Amino acid sequence: MYFSKALFKQSVKANWIKWVAVTVSTCVMLAIVIIVLGNLGINDIRDSLKNVFVQADQESYLKENAVDSYDLYLMTLSNYNDTQSSAMFVGIATGSYDNKVEEFKTANEGREPSDEEKQALIEQTALELKMYVQQPGISGSLPEGITPDIIYTLVKDLLNVYIQDTTVTGTDLFDKYFLNQIYNLSYQEVYNQEIEKGTLEEEAVTIAQTKASSSKTIAEDAINKYKEDKTSAGVGFAFNVENYKSVAMHYVNEMMYQNVYQLQIESGVTEEEANQYAVSVKVISNTAISTYQLWLNEGKTAEEAKAEATKSISDQIPEKVADALSELGNMDIYGLIIGSIFYKIAGLLLPMVFVIMTANGLIAGQVDSGSMAYVLSTPTKRRTVTATQMTYLLVALLAMFALLTVVSVIAVWVVGGNAFAINFGEILLLNLGAFLTTFAIAGYCFMCSAIFNRTKYSMSIGGGLTIFSLVCTILGLFGSEVVPSAMRISQMNFFNYLSVITLFDTTSILNGSLSYLWKFGILLAIGIVTFIIGVFRFDKKDLPL
Amino acid sequence: MEVIKVQDLTKDYGENRGIFDISFSVNKGETFGFVGTNGSGKTTTIRHIMGFLKPQKGEVSVLGKDAWKDSCEIKKYVEYVPGEIAFPDLRDGTSFLKAQAELLNLKDMSYANYLIEQLQLDPSANLKRMSKGMKQKTAIVAALMADKDILILDEPTTGLDPLMRETFLKLILDEKKKGKTILMSSQMFDELEITCDRVALIYNGRIIDIADINQLKNLPYRSYKVEFKTPEDYIKFKKLKFEIVRDQEKYNQVTIKVYDKEINRLFNILQNYNLKFISEVKYNLEKYFKEVLTKVHEKGG
Repeated sequence: MYFSKALFKQSVKANWIKWVAVTVSTCVMLAIVIIVLGNLGINDIRDSLKNVFVQADQESYLKENAVDSYDLYLMTLSNYNDTQSSAMFVGIATGSYDNKVEEFKTANEGREPSDEEKQALIEQTALELKMYVQQPGISGSLPEGITPDIIYTLVKDLLNVYIQDTTVTGTDLFDKYFLNQIYNLSYQEVYNQEIEKGTLEEEAVTIAQTKASSSKTIAEDAINKYKEDKTSAGVGFAFNVENYKSVAMHYVNEMMYQNVYQLQIESGVTEEEANQYAVSVKVISNTAISTYQLWLNEGKTAEEAKAEATKSISDQIPEKVADALSELGNMDIYGLIIGSIFYKIAGLLLPMVFVIMTANGLIAGQVDSGSMAYVLSTPTKRRTVTATQMTYLLVALLAMFALLTVVSVIAVWVVGGNAFAINFGEILLLNLGAFLTTFAIAGYCFMCSAIFNRTKYSMSIGGGLTIFSLVCTILGLFGSEVVPSAMRISQMNFFNYLSVITLFDTTSILNGSLSYLWKFGILLAIGIVTFIIGVFRFDKKDLPL
Repeated sequence: MEVIKVQDLTKDYGENRGIFDISFSVNKGETFGFVGTNGSGKTTTIRHIMGFLKPQKGEVSVLGKDAWKDSCEIKKYVEYVPGEIAFPDLRDGTSFLKAQAELLNLKDMSYANYLIEQLQLDPSANLKRMSKGMKQKTAIVAALMADKDILILDEPTTGLDPLMRETFLKLILDEKKKGKTILMSSQMFDELEITCDRVALIYNGRIIDIADINQLKNLPYRSYKVEFKTPEDYIKFKKLKFEIVRDQEKYNQVTIKVYDKEINRLFNILQNYNLKFISEVKYNLEKYFKEVLTKVHEKGG
């Protein structure tokens, strides 16, 4: 056994004051940091900032919805009006088709045609009608904008709707057909958009279905309004889309109000609150549509006008500022202060000083002063000396970080346990990481202490690089991801590559990824290898005692 | 029996520093001294014996064991007073001596207490505030308290006042009487002359000569310095066949070497001369080594 109890006792006696000073002050520092942070609620500002952006996004979404609904409403009216003239083909088409079905039945001993056969009959009907309107006498009297090809498609689509339910005929069938078309168009558009965005197939289908249904509802309402107006106006009814702009706007505002009010009531708020919230939504909707109209009148394209009308707060400030602000809103201040500043810099400083001084004092200091001669003039092997001193250093650090862990867990528990932004598991991992970092540094300092006979070399090579690492971590902080980009100088991240402390990946620990694990492994390996090199080197070197 | 044996030991630090082809041996019960100026290689040689340095060339053994490889084993028989006194980071002399006793696995402190009394040491003093002499005494107690067979001391009397040195030398002589094998280095010829059986002179990393103190003390001749009142007598005396070691014409003075058996003849002759004075020139280790060194320098050119 390479262990000397007497020497261990000597090391404890020589270093205990330093140990107590460092441990107590680090523990106090940590406790203060956690308790102060836990009670200050520094995330409040962050959260409100975040809310602004969430609301801005919601607002933008509402406005988009309003403008889209408005557009759809107007478009439906205008399209429906345009296609009224083709509604007269409904009767001809269904009649002709019904006849064909009857003929088929007679020819086939009363058997209903199969789906395929129905399609063939539809095709036949459509072709016949197309040919019919192509006749010179009739083609001239067709309503404006209607060609034989359009009639062919129209008849086909109409009949496809008709065969789903043959009791719906006449205007009702045409309306059904019309709404179907709107549903399909809307569905296709939304689905394609979602797929392009990278949404999952299944999700895209659901989203598209919802959107298409609401489009259909809006279109249905628009058609009803049209029919109502037409009935009340009688024969003199002349459709003009301009007359319907305010109608559309009013309709959309009301729809938004109703929808939001309903949702609010469902979520359990009082009627008054629901009303208040719904009204604010109505106001937003109104603003969006007015802005949209204005821009359209100014000669912008629909797309441009929509973009202007749906701008949110974050769209109105310069992009860089918006990014910086939204990042500030997303920043994890606890992670930054406890993870990156306390555990990687402030909390490491004192243990590091302890390690530098103690590692040097355990070997190189004693060789330099000559006091090692007293130990080595007794029957004590060199390896016993190094192993004992190494054990002392490890026990001292273990005890130090065990206490630090206990203090940090208590502090987190005091400020609210798991409600605190950093949970118990993460705090334990942070302490483990800080220990492993100190362990690696201790190994390295110990190795220097065992290699050099002079304190000045051991201190400057061992301690120098250690302090250099810490300083690099401080400088590197300004370039690291945890600092908001407004304050970040990304070139400073270079310093992080120069520091062993970078292997203590607090960001990974706090965001739950596992890359900190292999870095822990490297820290452990550095510690073990350097300790071993130190022990073996000391066995073989000349000692000026 | 050779307790310490050093054979062709070389450690070359470059620029003519270091030690070169050092060979000597110390027999059981013998006290062996090292004398030489600062930087001559005394400490380097001792560090090799203690197993702190690895020989570049040659061999060092203690009790037949290799001083480098079996360093730990050898320490069971060796006690050591280092040249530079620096104590571990402990509070006072008592705790240092206790810690040292623990490392030595020493339970019985009676001999340590005896030594403390002899050296009039107050071990309760703070280690950092001790005077050089007190530190030296503490170091000596720490080394001697285990009462092992071999004692190695590197310039142990530096920093001691003359009275304390006296006490210390007595202590060494006591240890010697017990039959311990002792190796000590010093810059003072007189204390080595008192304590040692043999003394080696190291100069520029090489052993120039090893003197046997007993032989030096029992030389068959003595030197006398004679000054005559007149130059005539001086010239007349020089013509007699006495071996003249030193001739100072200016003072009509000669130093002659006279074998003990010739002493009567000398005095008979001198009766006829007009003398100013006659005195014996004491021959000692210092003189002897100075002669040796002069010869070396003459040879070296």
